[in-house]
Amino acid sequence: MTDTPMLDVRDLQMHFPIGGGFLDRLRVGAGGVRLDNPVVHAVNGVSFKIARGEIMALVGESGCGKSTVAKTIARIYTPTAGEVRIEGEDIASYGFAELLPVRARMQMIFQDPYASLNPRQRVRDIVAEPLLEQTKGADDRKDVPRRITELLAKVGLNAEHANRYPHQFSGGQRQRIGIARALSVTPGLIIADEPVSALDVSIQAQILNLMKDLRDEFGLAYLFISHDLSVVNHIADQVGVMYLGFLVEHAPRDVLFARPRHPYTRALLSAAPSIKEKRETDEIVLSGEVPSALDLPSGCCFRTRCPFAWERCARERPALQDVGDGQTVACHLIDEPERDRP
Amino acid sequence: MTDQPLLAVRDLRTHFHTFSGTVKAVDGVSFEIGQGEVMGLVGESGGGKSVVGFSILGLIDSPGKIEAGEILLDGKNLVAASEAELRKVRGREISMVFQDPMTSLNPLHSVGRQMDEVLRLHTDLDAKARQAACVEMLESVGISRAAERLKAYPHQFSGGMRQRVVIAIALLARPRLIIADEPTTALDVTIQSQILKLMRAQIAEKGASMILITHDLAVVSEMADHITVLYCGKVVERGRTRDLINAPSHPYTRGLIDSIPDTVNRHDRLSQIPGTVPDIRNLPKGCNFRDRCPRAQALCAEVEPQLEPQHGTLSSACHFPLKPGEAA
Repeated sequence: MTDTPMLDVRDLQMHFPIGGGFLDRLRVGAGGVRLDNPVVHAVNGVSFKIARGEIMALVGESGCGKSTVAKTIARIYTPTAGEVRIEGEDIASYGFAELLPVRARMQMIFQDPYASLNPRQRVRDIVAEPLLEQTKGADDRKDVPRRITELLAKVGLNAEHANRYPHQFSGGQRQRIGIARALSVTPGLIIADEPVSALDVSIQAQILNLMKDLRDEFGLAYLFISHDLSVVNHIADQVGVMYLGFLVEHAPRDVLFARPRHPYTRALLSAAPSIKEKRETDEIVLSGEVPSALDLPSGCCFRTRCPFAWERCARERPALQDVGDGQTVACHLIDEPERDRP
Repeated sequence: MTDQPLLAVRDLRTHFHTFSGTVKAVDGVSFEIGQGEVMGLVGESGGGKSVVGFSILGLIDSPGKIEAGEILLDGKNLVAASEAELRKVRGREISMVFQDPMTSLNPLHSVGRQMDEVLRLHTDLDAKARQAACVEMLESVGISRAAERLKAYPHQFSGGMRQRVVIAIALLARPRLIIADEPTTALDVTIQSQILKLMRAQIAEKGASMILITHDLAVVSEMADHITVLYCGKVVERGRTRDLINAPSHPYTRGLIDSIPDTVNRHDRLSQIPGTVPDIRNLPKGCNFRDRCPRAQALCAEVEPQLEPQHGTLSSACHFPLKPGEAA
């Protein structure tokens, strides 16, 4: 085992121009005629590393860019800027052919088990597809049927399930099929985008346990995207909190849940409902909603909803700074802790 | 508070007759709600919780049919009521908040018009008074510049704002019962906490009762006075919220609670309920939960358990109920 992290993301940016046609973008105003170039700033410079066998979670609300990060790393999108290093190899600008061998090292599990399986393929064809892409020789392919049975057993399905179609399975079983498909090429990294949020809580527990078992067995690294803090607290080793395309806080799990520093993280943690009777009373209640990623606020992106914001926050965008214990926070409160009072 | 409950559901059976067999979505459900109470209706997908809500409002369409049972609102049976009578009840006496704020508002009408409709149908206020009532209601659910926003269309609002509008519409005619079907499931966690606070405050202020239908035990434990747990169309357990969460007596409730990832005492593995919900078209004889139950014995395959009183305020339908402190 080397020191090279399984995944090393450096200053990843993903912007989507949503211009439309020439006439759509044409604006006639007091200052004359100009051409608009609206851009959605989905991801604005995100960096993190995931070691082999480690689970990193990205949390945040809808529109914070967490799924875009996942899809950009999986190279479903081509990043606007930044590096995506898989075991040291920068794949940010790879073309289709160059990506094919990379996909054997990196696979994805999707949120919706109903939409992510082809309804017209049998389970064995679904699971075999990545494998067949990766093995072109007839000799290698002899092994495929045996391998499929093995994979299905690993995720808790029977060999007889291989001949069925996706509609014959429940949501939890379909998610198992998706996991088997991802495992088929023995990847080192699995990108899981909200893998359990479409499932009932009892099924969710089954899938989370399965993912943990597979991590222990194969030494998989996961990038785990979720909006559910209790799920993240259960499964992750390190957690990144995203807001409007920025990483606002990043820490090992126990540090983050015991001592969240960024006001947004604190608000998220106190907003999460719990079956416990006692609630912390010092909760931060957020008013308002997430601003548009088309037109980012100046300075700190969170200041429009932050109960502590002052003029410095509008002027200056806070950078991630180290506060010890592997925790990094992007907030001016770290410099001026005396303002941390509602 | 009077002796008569606001709403009493007795032995409700709502079945769907499909080509592949009869789906007994709700099969003998009974409960009562008093004035000002919040009842949580909990269960996994396919448990029949939404169908209970639709049945109360008479919104069951063919091939579905209420086969038996009574739904008594102030002693008046809604199952036997005519469509015209039901129309007077909907929105006026009982209103509903649906899960998806994107589809429960009409995209072609302004928010103001959709709010006005409720008042036009159920009150005899003039246009000016209705407008004033709408503005006041929108402001009370936390939408600023309400008079202006009345002219806006649903697509001009965000998801959280839309759900506020839906709640405002539900509260407008001052109903005595609100049925909220997964009201915050489609929302982000910070917005969810805003909406839950709003609903709690509005219900307390107006003295209304609520049925909160959700799969999320955490949400329900923060909101409800009572909880009723459904499994395969039947009530498996009910009782006061704290009793039920702290020491459930039915193994299914225990399993649901244990499979929630806990932020306080974390275990390496989540305890899980094995297997999946059985096919509701041909349920096994005996207890519906026995295939997934760690306590199942021979009796469970033979005799269907009935709801019986357990410790505290709980009652559950189980031959081998859990005692407080006992593991499943």
